[in-house]
Amino acid sequence: MIFSFETWQITVFSLSVGLASTLLILPFGVVLAWLFARKTWPLKSFVETVVLLPLVMPPVSTGLILLKIFGRRSPIGQWLYERGVEIVFNWKGVLIAMSVMSFPLLVRSVRTSFAEVNPRLEQIAATLGASPLKIFFVITIPLAYKGIVAGALLAFSRALGEFGATILLAGNIPGETQTLSLAVYNFVQIGKDSDAFVLLGITVALAFLFVWSSEWLLRSGNKA
Amino acid sequence: MLLRCRIPLEHFELDLNVSFDARVTAIFGPSGSGKTTLLDAIAGLRAIAAGEIEIDGQILFSTVKGIHLPPRQRGIGYVPQEAALFPHLSVKQNILFGAGREIQTGRSPGIQCAHVLEVLEIGGLLARPVTKLSGGEAQRVALARAILSRPRLLLLDEPLAALDIGLKERILPYLGRVRDEFAIPMIYVTHNLTEVLTLADWVLMIHQGRLITQGVPRETLRTTRAMLQSPDEQFENVFTVTFVDSDANAGRSKVRVQSGEELFIPYLPQPPTRPFQIRISADAIMVATQNPQGISAGNVVPGVVRAIDILEGQAMLTVLAGEEFYVRLTGAAVSRLGLLEGGRVFLIMKTRSFHLL
Repeated sequence: MIFSFETWQITVFSLSVGLASTLLILPFGVVLAWLFARKTWPLKSFVETVVLLPLVMPPVSTGLILLKIFGRRSPIGQWLYERGVEIVFNWKGVLIAMSVMSFPLLVRSVRTSFAEVNPRLEQIAATLGASPLKIFFVITIPLAYKGIVAGALLAFSRALGEFGATILLAGNIPGETQTLSLAVYNFVQIGKDSDAFVLLGITVALAFLFVWSSEWLLRSGNKA
Repeated sequence: MLLRCRIPLEHFELDLNVSFDARVTAIFGPSGSGKTTLLDAIAGLRAIAAGEIEIDGQILFSTVKGIHLPPRQRGIGYVPQEAALFPHLSVKQNILFGAGREIQTGRSPGIQCAHVLEVLEIGGLLARPVTKLSGGEAQRVALARAILSRPRLLLLDEPLAALDIGLKERILPYLGRVRDEFAIPMIYVTHNLTEVLTLADWVLMIHQGRLITQGVPRETLRTTRAMLQSPDEQFENVFTVTFVDSDANAGRSKVRVQSGEELFIPYLPQPPTRPFQIRISADAIMVATQNPQGISAGNVVPGVVRAIDILEGQAMLTVLAGEEFYVRLTGAAVSRLGLLEGGRVFLIMKTRSFHLL
């Protein structure tokens, strides 16, 4: 049987942590993207650059930074440890690594879709008595939702492909922190090529599905 | 209402200091004279460098007093040029978007949805997605949306500019009905003379961001260079008339203007029951000093020349012939006929030169 229990376990683990990371970053990403697209504020371009950094930095470097931030010797890691939360070398590390690495993709995609919403519509809504919150949820979000969903799909695929930051922050522990990409690497290392190919097939299929649907959404246009 | 503002623009500064109180105030000026900017500023959508806006005794904006009400608290309805309907909502959802407005403007509390739908004839469009509306329908929906937010003031930004001529002629009467049915003061921005003459009680002429003159539309437009300087612009005579009778074989209908004079206009298959408006271009009227004989034109009306305004070879005659008619002639025609103020003339108007508004 090609789909061993192990294969299933790895796939389900990757998909669930990936989904959790996307859902975790979605609200922050949407709000930040809106702030980037619609508001001017001090240090905006600096913050934009910092948010985009993980996109271009070597993932291993990002992983090292995360390890230093969440490791038990750092103030934050210490603080979390005292409250019974450990990030490093368990699934929470995977979650953090995936979230940080996919966040820039989400923000970029959502920012573009917000920028494409005609600001005139928001202005007119304001003259009709709508509060900023109502405008955001009733006008802006619905008009940008395709870009938001596409961005989330893209972020999700990026999360599934995460390797460098994950291996530093969460390690490569079979049954505990091993994701699809980590497992592919692991199987190749120990010579289990056939297992690696099965996982390879799964990753390619998933990546294709998500990128294709993301592109399809964007092509069908933001305007309802 | 009081409007005193200074708005810095790219090439010039919009600087206005006016107070007016009319049902419909037209702001007339060429493209690029800052008209849309002014409306945005009144609605609170654009920053004003210095100034004050006051409506019904309430200050909406004042740099001196440090008041700056956000758009949603101003109670000002805005119909932009492009209608700006919310594309993801149905016509009905669009129309009702501002209907639950929290602030009470004290204006027109009696405006009922059904009444608005009836006046604008959009009851049949409610279930449609707004992307399936024609330009004229979209404008009417945008108008209904603004009216139903029960504003203290309605801003209309060239609502007819984006439409072709045929559609214009059909939407203009709706604007007139909105003016007559709902007690909402309107500020109407346009660069079209016919619209000013049809709708407005008061006109502000602005050019390069400055107020040139203001007053009652007919006199103001007649004596302003803007009108004579743009020969392409149609200067229209607009009259409110009632239907008298129709003759399909003769191809004409008879209508009566308010002064009692009767005119022939092109045949109306379905005579309107209520008073309606007709127009004739100032360029489409001929002037004769004697009663012409053997002429095809259906309307020959005697009158007296009230005023002759000549500017750069173009003459605008004001002729009292029951109603006041404006006739644009060349300076050559005026001197050849020896026209003088107080002189008796005959106005010759083809039946087919009249159009419905």
